[in-house]
Amino acid sequence: MFRRSERACQAARQVQVRVDGVTMSVPDTLSVAAAVLQVHGWQGYRRHHDGSSRAPLCLMGVCHECLITIDGQPNRQGCLVPVAEGMHIERQGGERHD
Amino acid sequence: MRQDFLIVGGGVVGMATAYGLARAGQRVTVLDESDDALRASRGNAGLTWVQGKGVGMPRYAELSLDAVQAWPAFAEELQARTGVDLQYEQRGGVDLCLDADEAATRQAEYRTLQQVSPRLAREFEWQYLRRDALTEHLPGLGERVHGGTWSPHDGHCNPLYLLRALYAASLALGVTLQPATPVSSVARREGRFVATTPKGAVEAERIVIAAGLGARKLAPMLGLSGEVRPLRGQIIVTERLPLIAQLPTPQVRQTASGGYLIGDTHEDAGFDKSVTPDMMHALAAKAVRIFPRLARARLVRAWGALRVMTPDGNPLYEASTTCPGAYNVNCHSGITLAAFHAGELAQAILDDRLARDFPQFSGERFDVPA
Amino acid sequence: MTELRRADVAIVGAGPAGMAAAVRLAEAGLRPVVFDLNATPGGQVYRQLGDPQVDAVVMGEDYLRGRTLVETFTRADIDYRPLSRVWWLGRESTGYALGVITQQGAQSWHVDRLILASGAMERGWPFSGWQLPGVMTAGAAQILLKQGALVPCTSAVLAGSGPLLYLLAWQYLRAGQPPALVLDLAPESGYRALLRQPLNAWRGRGYLLKGLRMVAALRRAGIPVLQGVDGLQAEGENAVERVRYRHRGSWKTLPASLLLTHFGVVPEPQLARSLNLPHGWETGQQSFLPSRSETLAADERLWIAGDGGGIGGALNAEREGCLAALDVLASLDIETPDALGWERQALQHARHRDLEARRLLETLFRLPVDWLDLQPEDTLICRCESVSRGEVEHAIAQGAAGPNQLKAFTRCGMGPCQGRQCGESIARLLARRTSQPLDTIGYYHIRPPVHSVTLGELASQQDT
Repeated sequence: MFRRSERACQAARQVQVRVDGVTMSVPDTLSVAAAVLQVHGWQGYRRHHDGSSRAPLCLMGVCHECLITIDGQPNRQGCLVPVAEGMHIERQGGERHD
Repeated sequence: MRQDFLIVGGGVVGMATAYGLARAGQRVTVLDESDDALRASRGNAGLTWVQGKGVGMPRYAELSLDAVQAWPAFAEELQARTGVDLQYEQRGGVDLCLDADEAATRQAEYRTLQQVSPRLAREFEWQYLRRDALTEHLPGLGERVHGGTWSPHDGHCNPLYLLRALYAASLALGVTLQPATPVSSVARREGRFVATTPKGAVEAERIVIAAGLGARKLAPMLGLSGEVRPLRGQIIVTERLPLIAQLPTPQVRQTASGGYLIGDTHEDAGFDKSVTPDMMHALAAKAVRIFPRLARARLVRAWGALRVMTPDGNPLYEASTTCPGAYNVNCHSGITLAAFHAGELAQAILDDRLARDFPQFSGERFDVPA
Repeated sequence: MTELRRADVAIVGAGPAGMAAAVRLAEAGLRPVVFDLNATPGGQVYRQLGDPQVDAVVMGEDYLRGRTLVETFTRADIDYRPLSRVWWLGRESTGYALGVITQQGAQSWHVDRLILASGAMERGWPFSGWQLPGVMTAGAAQILLKQGALVPCTSAVLAGSGPLLYLLAWQYLRAGQPPALVLDLAPESGYRALLRQPLNAWRGRGYLLKGLRMVAALRRAGIPVLQGVDGLQAEGENAVERVRYRHRGSWKTLPASLLLTHFGVVPEPQLARSLNLPHGWETGQQSFLPSRSETLAADERLWIAGDGGGIGGALNAEREGCLAALDVLASLDIETPDALGWERQALQHARHRDLEARRLLETLFRLPVDWLDLQPEDTLICRCESVSRGEVEHAIAQGAAGPNQLKAFTRCGMGPCQGRQCGESIARLLARRTSQPLDTIGYYHIRPPVHSVTLGELASQQDT
């Protein structure tokens, strides 16, 4: 998991998002992938088509390991979508999600 | 070492022929172009298909029928030799008709074909199914599709794995593969055939030109027909989606890895094999019309490839009369016909009875009387 | 019929190169359109700098250096379009056609002139277990820091080769989450070569001093820094549980849940490749680079500026953005050649000086060319399609002679990342196995979509 450093230079403005059905408060500057890494870490982030567990690698739009369901749309690049108030985020970590 | 056959072209046509000849005990060398050559073999949809073939030339439909009948054993043999799974399936296929006009034209074509060929009348099974009847074969078929012709002969494979298996099987049979060795000219010298390449001359007793569009230049050097032109097709592929039991169509099919392969464009674009946004938009719109659920699917790849088209669209098989021992093998349905090329055709070349057995497919048919 | 939008000049990317180009064009009275993937300007290096979450105490001065540029860019009259993906690029007789996916849907553009400033990416560098959750790039860790002052809850292991590795270790130290261990995989020969190249060392003294200061700070804080590490593996069931590394000939195992790696950065190749632009292998940078003229032009109406054309760092990218803008202005006869000439000369001079200084980094952080040979057979080369080194080698043995044939035979490079992560490895493997130079091997044929787009978005563009 990741946490906000005590050395941050300002207090974070928060937005409420739902991650796998649970409402959470996260800094509004984060991408969806960053928010999930903060609240859940890399474990259980995504299941790959070969059955293996995967999680974000690059966070800059290159590796496509951060694919996640956002507002019902599967396989969005979580690192390229900023969090927004009321957003529904679902990890694709459970059943095989091709 | 003395080579029996030189095959010019390492695509699926050349490799099927090379494999067939090597399996019959011949010493074969294949000369192939560079990695970024035109390569219709890597750009096609992977259909093993009878429908739509041979309109105007029933013999071609019969060949296609022969080929799909040979396919199951061919696939099994290649898989056993190489361990490469061709992802071949023959559970029937549907050629969709988006509107009533298309449906009427299609049915008329098939009936005509069966009127002129007793064998096709007997063996070519097909049926026009309206949209509602088709949903059993194609779950989720869109409302704005009129119907389609269903045929049990049709199937599909992974054309890339077919090519790979042909490479692997040929190598195992001792075929010499020379990649990145483009042939600039071919000639007969002292009863043997010589291909000139940047890496030097390569010789063999006999030669097969299976160079696709490269035949335009090379085939006439041996008195063979170079009457082929490019016809561009574009294909788009979606991300992997859950596998659904459904039949392939030329318009869209789900591959074994889950992606949907979409595309049946026919464009005269010269030698430009790029993809164009207009065509991609049109293909996407058509795919969504056929399967509305695909609107949410992400596109991951797209490509353009150049079909190798003869003036009448039918294959070109011929033996040179001026240079005996030189043969021309060229067509745009190298996947369907692969089983035939590796089997009957290779044997006919080996026995030098191409002209006798397949006279209809000679390039002479394109000679315009002066 | 969908509307075709037009612009005189478009810039792809709002990092230092793209911002600088846009600002310079705006100064000359043009209003360029800037498409950027991200929500805020800055690129990777100056990410979130318009509203920073961490300051210079944690990030170092280099991060804050971009503040003026971001502010100028934000204030200038520029048609800035964040969260826009250029998924398609086509050459036309009078410029370029662009397919862009925005939050409002798909758009088609025609632009007379185009500057590609799409930046760099972390080099895909396979090692056993690199697909496990808990392996991330150092760049990703920095993005989390910049985006939300995020640091790991655990002490990470940092491994790789390049200045970013030490920078991140130092930043984590400053942010109150020092790493457990730093594994430097740069070959020790690099440090020896330094002594043999005193001129390069002198030219790069700025980098050298910065690096030495960081290493000293890490050592003072008691963080072990191991140099001369030449093997790396991540192990675990569904995530990283252990890191294994080889140091002075013997393998050691360390329990760890987070491994942050860095093996240098390379140009993000997709847009330039999708245009079929000529590329060449650059041995210093150990990377394919697009061919550019001295004025950064890749053809008559196209420029490539910043790290997307070759790695030069943020300051160099800014200069290259200006240089590309100046050449655009010259091609439009907007400013007098004399005025442009002076400005251009100064920028070129600074650029050459900077690029020479970077040779030191290239020498120090040279990656071993036999790395892939030493990885276990089941190491994934293509992560998307889960294609291992063994499978790639098997396909080469079955006759795959080039990257595109190999792609056809194994599906490597066919997944959603479209070969960004495996393209270099595939070329390297083929070069080794067929004993040919990388320029002869070449690269995947990259075609649109360069970014993922749904069929629905595409279908909405269909002319009816």
